[in-house]
Amino acid sequence: MTSLKEEVEEKKKLIATLRNKPWRMKRRLKLLKECQAFVEEFEGALGKGKGRKLYAYKVMMAKKMIKFNRDFDNFKTACIPWERKIKEVESHFGSSVASYFIFLRWMYGLNLVLFAFMFGLVVLPEVMMGLPYGSIPRKTVPRAEQDRAMDISVLLDFGGYCKYSILFYGFYNDERTIGVLQFRLPLSYLLVGLGIFGYSLMVVIRTMARNSDEGGDGGDDGQFTFAFKMFTSWDYLIGNPETADNKYASITTSFKESIVDEQENQKDENIHLRRFLRVLANFLILCSLGGSGFLIYFVVKRSQEFANLDQDELSWFEKNEVEFVMSLLGLVCPPLFETIAELEEYHPRIALKWQLGRIFALFLGNLYTFLFALFDEVNAKLEKEKSIRNATIWGLNEYYSNYSSYHNTTDIPPPDIHPADVIRGPCWETAVGIEFVKLTVSDIQVTYMTILIGDFLRAMIVRFLNYCWCWDLEAGFPSYGEFDISGNVLGLIFNQGMIWMGAFYAPGLVGLNVLRLLTSMYYQCWAVMSCNVPHERVFKASKSNNFYMGLLLLVLFLSLLPVVYTIMTLPPSFDCGPFSGREQMYNVVMETIENDLPAFIGNIFTYATNPGLILPAVLLMVLAIYYLNATSKNYQNANLELKKKMQMARDEEKNRRNNKENTNQVMQDLEDLLPNRSLLPPAAEEEKPPPVLEKGSKSPKVAKRPGAAANGKGVNIQKDVSLAAPNPKAAVTHPPGPRGPSGNARGPPPGPARGRGRGTPPSRR
Amino acid sequence: MGSRASTLLREEEIEEIKKETGFSHSQITRLYSRFTSLDKGENGTLSREDFQRIPELAINPLGDRIINAFFPEGEDQVNFRGFMRTLAHFRPIEDNEKNKDPTASEPLNSRTNKLLFAFQLYDLDRDDKISRDELLQVLRMMVGVNISDEQLGSIADRTIQEADQNGDNSISFNEFIKVGNLQHIYVWAGDHYLILTYILLSVLQDCLCSSV
Repeated sequence: MTSLKEEVEEKKKLIATLRNKPWRMKRRLKLLKECQAFVEEFEGALGKGKGRKLYAYKVMMAKKMIKFNRDFDNFKTACIPWERKIKEVESHFGSSVASYFIFLRWMYGLNLVLFAFMFGLVVLPEVMMGLPYGSIPRKTVPRAEQDRAMDISVLLDFGGYCKYSILFYGFYNDERTIGVLQFRLPLSYLLVGLGIFGYSLMVVIRTMARNSDEGGDGGDDGQFTFAFKMFTSWDYLIGNPETADNKYASITTSFKESIVDEQENQKDENIHLRRFLRVLANFLILCSLGGSGFLIYFVVKRSQEFANLDQDELSWFEKNEVEFVMSLLGLVCPPLFETIAELEEYHPRIALKWQLGRIFALFLGNLYTFLFALFDEVNAKLEKEKSIRNATIWGLNEYYSNYSSYHNTTDIPPPDIHPADVIRGPCWETAVGIEFVKLTVSDIQVTYMTILIGDFLRAMIVRFLNYCWCWDLEAGFPSYGEFDISGNVLGLIFNQGMIWMGAFYAPGLVGLNVLRLLTSMYYQCWAVMSCNVPHERVFKASKSNNFYMGLLLLVLFLSLLPVVYTIMTLPPSFDCGPFSGREQMYNVVMETIENDLPAFIGNIFTYATNPGLILPAVLLMVLAIYYLNATSKNYQNANLELKKKMQMARDEEKNRRNNKENTNQVMQDLEDLLPNRSLLPPAAEEEKPPPVLEKGSKSPKVAKRPGAAANGKGVNIQKDVSLAAPNPKAAVTHPPGPRGPSGNARGPPPGPARGRGRGTPPSRR
Repeated sequence: MGSRASTLLREEEIEEIKKETGFSHSQITRLYSRFTSLDKGENGTLSREDFQRIPELAINPLGDRIINAFFPEGEDQVNFRGFMRTLAHFRPIEDNEKNKDPTASEPLNSRTNKLLFAFQLYDLDRDDKISRDELLQVLRMMVGVNISDEQLGSIADRTIQEADQNGDNSISFNEFIKVGNLQHIYVWAGDHYLILTYILLSVLQDCLCSSV
C-alpha cells in the first residue's frame, strides 16, 4: 500500500517536471500519457482523486464476480447426481466397484444428450407439425392387423399400434418440408442419425484425453504410503455420524488396498513356472472361445434352415434356439474364464482387464450372429418389397387407365382408398428397429432378473437358511455374492453399442435407454449395498477409466459400420420412413444442396469430394498423428527420467544421513530446525551408535529398491508375518466399537508441558 | 450471556493473550464469548465433558486425545488462557511474521509447533517416541476389527520402517517432522484450524439452541 502511494507520488512529480527534461517531444508525450493513466487508475485506489468511485466500484464488482463464480461452482458440484450414493458404495466396497457406478453415471449423461437430440430434432417436429396418426398409409395399422392391434401380446412384441408409432422409423413422413417453419424433416433425420455417432465419438475421446491427464502426481507415492495413511487419513471436518461410518469403512478399505499392492510387490518369482501356466491358461481359453464360436455358427445355420420350414411345426426350443444358446454361453463362459485365470496369478487389476478382454471376445461372437441374422432378414424383405412395389405400380396404372377410359378426362383424382386398405410393402427399417428394441428389452429383463435371483435370493437364502443348515452357509458355499465388475461393465458397453446401432431405425430407443439407466442406477446401488460383500482382495482401481473408454470406443466403431453401410448401399423402402421414394438415403442431402442452398456451395462440395483433394488430406492427417505420437512418447520418457532423478536424490539424502550416524548428527538435525533446544531429548547418552558397517552395506539394497527403508530386518518381517492372513469376510457394517478404553488418554498423567512454550527438558529421566 | 462476557475479560489480559498467541483483539473477544457458551457450569473453566459435546470431536477417533491436549498435565479444568494457548497452535502461519521480530522465540503456531502438537496426539506416554504399541492403538481406533491383528501389526511395522531412520524401532520427533515435511501433512495441520472454527460455530449453534 505504501509502495503504491510512493509510486503515485513519483508519477505526479514526473508529470510536473516533464517540461524540463531534455528529451524529444515524442518521448515526453508518451511518458505523459503513461503517467496520467497510471495516476488516474491508482489514485482512486488510494481514496482520492477522480478515479476513486470508479475504482471502488470496480473492486466491488470484482469481489462480487469472484463470489458469484465460487457459488456457481458449488452449485455445479451439488448438481452432480448420486454423488453421495456413489461415495457410500466406494467407502464400503472400494474404488473399483465405485468406478463401475461412475461409468454408469457418465453413460447416463451421454444418453441424456443423445435423447435430447433425437427428441428435439426428430420426434417433436413430426409430432407437432407432421400429419397425425391415421391420415396416410404409413401411419395407419393395416386393415388385416387391426383386430389384433391392441392385444397385449402383440404390443409387447412391438407390433400393432406400437409398430406404427413414433417409436419406429416407418412412422415418419417424407415430405421435404413440414409445417409453418418449413422444417426439413428427412434432412434432420439423417443428420441427427449421423450426429449421434459424431457426438458420442467426440465425448468419448475427450473423456479419454482428460483421464490420461490425471496420471500426474504419482511421484510421492512410493515414499511414505503407510505413514501417510496412518497419520493423515482421518478427515477432521466430518461432523455427521453417518459420514463418519463411511469414513471408517473407507479407511479400512484403503488399508486393505495398500496391503494387496504390497503383496503383489513382494511375490516370489518363479518365472518359468508362471510363464508356462500363463501360456496354458491362454491356450485353454482360446480353445473355449473357438468352441463357442463354432457352436454359434452351427446354431445360426440351423435356424436359417428352420426359417424355411413351416413356423407352426417348430417347438419353442427350436424357434428360440439361437437366443437360448447365446444366453447359455453368456452364463457359463465368464465363470469358466475366471477359474482358468486363477492359474495366471496376476495382480487383481490386471486380471480384471484380461477377464474383460476375454468376455469381450465372447460377446463379439454374439454380436456377429445377431447382425448376420438381421442382414438375412433385411435381404428377404427387400426381395418381397420389389414384388409388392411392382404390384402396386401395376395396380395404380390400371386404376388410372380405367378411370380415364371411363370418364374420358385427363385430370384424374388420386384413388380414394382408406389408408388402412392400401397395399403396404414390408418396411425393413422398422423391422430392424423392432429387433433392436426387442433385444434391448430382453437384455434389461435378463439383467434385472439375474440381480434379483443371483444376488438377492441368494443372500436371503444364505441369511435365513443358515439357522437350520448343517454347515455355515455364510463362510462356506454359497456365501454372499461379490459384485461382478467385469460382467456389469461389459453389459453396459454392449448395451450402448446396441443403442447406437438401433437409434437410426428406432428413434424411441434412446428414450428407453435413458429410463433403463436411471432405474439401473438406483436398483444396482440398492442391490450392492444390501446383498453383496466386498471382494476378498480389495484393489484400487486404476486412476483413469481409460480401459473402459477404450472398449467403448471400439464398440462405437463396430456399431458405426452397419449403420453407415445401410445408409450408403441399401435402398430405402418405397412407402415408409422419411427417405421413401429416393434411390439412396443420402440423396436427401444432395437434394438439399441443390434446391435450398446457394449455387456456389454446391460447387464447393463437388470440389471437396474430389479424390485428388481427399487423399492428400488423409495423408497429412496420418503424418500429424505420427508426429504427435512421437512427441508424446518423448515427453513421457523425459517425465520418467525426472522422477528417477528425484528419487535418487532422496535416496542419497537418506544414505548420507544414515552413513554419518554419530552422536552429533541428532544435534545437528535439531539445530537446523529449532532455535531452542528444549525438545532435544537427552538421546546422546542413551543411544548407542548402531553398527555403521551394517548401514553401509545396506545402501546398495536401497538403491535397488527405492522407497524401502535401509533396514534388512524390516524386509524380513514382511515375509514372515503374513500380510496374506485372511480378512474377516463380513461386510464392514459397523464402525469399530467404543473407541478403545477411553481412560487411556487420561491414564498416565501427561508429562511436563513440552513445546507449549519454553518447558524445561524432562527431569524425570 | 453476552454482556457478562465482556466484563470478565480485561484489557490487560487481552493484551497479554495477544502477545502470547498472536490472535487479534476482535478474534480474542469472539473466542471468549464462545468459551463462555461452551462453559455450561459457568465457572470460568471448561471440563472434558464440555468438549465432548462437540459432534466433530465426538466422532473423531482421536477426539479424546485432542481434548486431552487442551488440559495441562494432571488437571481436569482449563481456563481461558490455557484454551487460547492451545488454540494458538492452529492459527495459520504468516510469512511476514518472521521478519518482524527475529530475536523472539518461536511463535506457538509455527510449523514445528504444529507438528509437535500432532506428534503429541500419538505419543501418549510423552517419551518423545511413537512406539509400535502406540501405533497399534491408533490403528485399532481407526480401523477396529475389520482387519486382523496380524495385519495391523504388519502395518505398524511397515510404518515404522518407512519413517524410522536411526533404527530404534520407533518414530522420534525428527523423523515425524521428515514425514510431515511433505505437503500432505500441511493440509492436515491446516485442517486442524478449520475444525476449531467449526467447533466454535457449532458451539454458537449449541448455545442458541440451549437458550431457546
